[in-house]
Amino acid sequence: MLQFLRELCAIDGTSGDECAVRDYIISKIEGNCEYNIDALGNIIAFKKGKNRAKKKVMLDAHMDEVGLVITHITDDGFLKFCTVGGINCESMMFRRVKINGNTIGVIGGKPIHLCKGDEGKKLPETDSLYIDIGACDRAAAEKMVAVGDRAVICSEFTLCENKIMSKALDDRVGCAILIKLINEESDYDFYATFSVEEEVGLRGARTAAYTVNPDCAIVLEGTTAADIAGVKQESRVCVLGKGAAVSFMDGATVYDREYYKAALTSGILCQPKCAVTGGNNAGAIHLTRSGVRTLAISVPCRYIHSASSVCDVNDINAAYQLARKMISEMASGSL
Amino acid sequence: MDIKELIVKLSDAVSIGNITEARDIAYGELSKYADCRKTDSLTVIGEIKGESDYTLMLDAHIDEVGFIVKDIDKNGFLTVEKCGGIDLRSLPSRVVTIHGKRAVTGVFCSTPPHLKEKANFESIDGIKIDTLLGSAAAEVISIGDYMTYNAKAAHLSDRRISGKALDDRVGVAVLLDLARRLSAKRLPFNVVFCISDMEELGTRGARTATYEVSPDEAIAIDVSFADGPDIPALECGKLGGGAMVGIAPILDRQMSDKLTALAASASIPYQTEVMGSATGTDGDVISITRKGVRTAVVSIPIRNMHTDVEIVDINDVTAVCDLLEKYILEGGVR
Repeated sequence: MLQFLRELCAIDGTSGDECAVRDYIISKIEGNCEYNIDALGNIIAFKKGKNRAKKKVMLDAHMDEVGLVITHITDDGFLKFCTVGGINCESMMFRRVKINGNTIGVIGGKPIHLCKGDEGKKLPETDSLYIDIGACDRAAAEKMVAVGDRAVICSEFTLCENKIMSKALDDRVGCAILIKLINEESDYDFYATFSVEEEVGLRGARTAAYTVNPDCAIVLEGTTAADIAGVKQESRVCVLGKGAAVSFMDGATVYDREYYKAALTSGILCQPKCAVTGGNNAGAIHLTRSGVRTLAISVPCRYIHSASSVCDVNDINAAYQLARKMISEMASGSL
Repeated sequence: MDIKELIVKLSDAVSIGNITEARDIAYGELSKYADCRKTDSLTVIGEIKGESDYTLMLDAHIDEVGFIVKDIDKNGFLTVEKCGGIDLRSLPSRVVTIHGKRAVTGVFCSTPPHLKEKANFESIDGIKIDTLLGSAAAEVISIGDYMTYNAKAAHLSDRRISGKALDDRVGVAVLLDLARRLSAKRLPFNVVFCISDMEELGTRGARTATYEVSPDEAIAIDVSFADGPDIPALECGKLGGGAMVGIAPILDRQMSDKLTALAASASIPYQTEVMGSATGTDGDVISITRKGVRTAVVSIPIRNMHTDVEIVDINDVTAVCDLLEKYILEGGVR
């Protein structure tokens, strides 16, 4: 699962441009399930289990990561861009980026020495940022990139004891867990969706859930952990190493209370997500058709939506074990 | 090793405080072409003798900006001080290397999205570093350990390089390339190559090295601001516009005039950088050491100075090498 995660994180796939991620996932689940690709690019898979499911369970993980899209090429050969999904300015200042999976550029700016007054203490406007690919003028730049091209902030997957640092942990952790669940024997049938465009409005999950029409759903995600220096106890949301984070409520969903409690009492290492913040594909899934009972199981991630997000391998394992247990509980009809 | 490879190798290496990796590489290269020694203050000095006792010193600094650890908390988060000028706004979620008992990859923390208070860039005390080691951090990292940017150099298009310490490893690369070029030639005077330390902390190494060398004239090779969308054209040079020849009241006017005249006549790309007083380089202290030294400053244009995504244009580096080689062979201002 760690190897899947390492390889998944290395792939660039921003919202609406997930094809390389999709191809990788298909190559890993091929032969272990039936699947098709829908109009938006979602993978909709069916995993046959040892027993028929009494309730139709759908697991979802999103393939897309946050990134940038090139909007304009200036006469001097610089690239203007806007974000795809939420990235804050300080995660973008003076960073290396990769465009189209191969062209290296730099988000440049005014050096601190030339900043006047308070300028050097306030973040610049995001739309004042630009990418420098080393082109001398527009013509040179146009040989290398085009408007509409996607970029990600460069990152190197780092494993240190039990901690992982990488871009796109949100939500390649979810994808890695779901690949593993599909590739093993399951007690019960379940559906798995690897969805697109979560970061730009939970779009793929909306249509995938309509297609699958589940009774219940589990969303596998990465969620913000603020267990870092300088953050008060009550603002930490969840803590690395304390297991899968289970949500009771967030900015988009009020989760099924019974599922939430069942997860916390499952005997698997997990913690409540102690904040009503953020949102994920459950926001779209639970409102599908006449409603879907939904649970979110998340891996705590520090510095989420940056190129250096950090999570704990033990939490990924816990999320996988919890998901596995909850599939059986839900599909068997006991919950 | 060609100059591009040299720049990459030097930029990727570390030299800060008592860590001397880049300096050792430079020493190794320089000693192929010049008689080298290290001074008491650990500046590297190499000399190629010429046909008179007159001495011209070329200076570039080997140290890079970075950080020093001042606290390690029980959860493995560090507090650091800056070593040199750093833009605090660029730090959150930036990957660093902590040089403890072994190299540790860490990351500057960033304010989580749900915490409404804006990030504070007043002091680096509030911006912590996550070592990923938790409570085991203190076994590997100690107070006083150095920390540097973690970024391997990359090529942008065929002429431009991005790296973490191009300031002033490109200057050092110029010195090394000149040593290679000049070692095969008869020189009108002695040329001393001074790879000095602690420029970023107040031009310290150049001060003591110049006292020891006591040259007749000197040229400091450093970097200076290159153009970008937010930067007024009058405050910077042009990336790709050639060697930036400094013109300032504290610099020797005959030297800067000769440099610009030579560049023009030999069609070496150059531009001028006019400053009203001091230059912010080793040239400022070199010129007032002992009885004074006739000094010039030649700079390589650089974007994003003091970040780990600095950018230079190789044509500018070559222009500086060509210009200084010509200047030396034509006898300087002796």
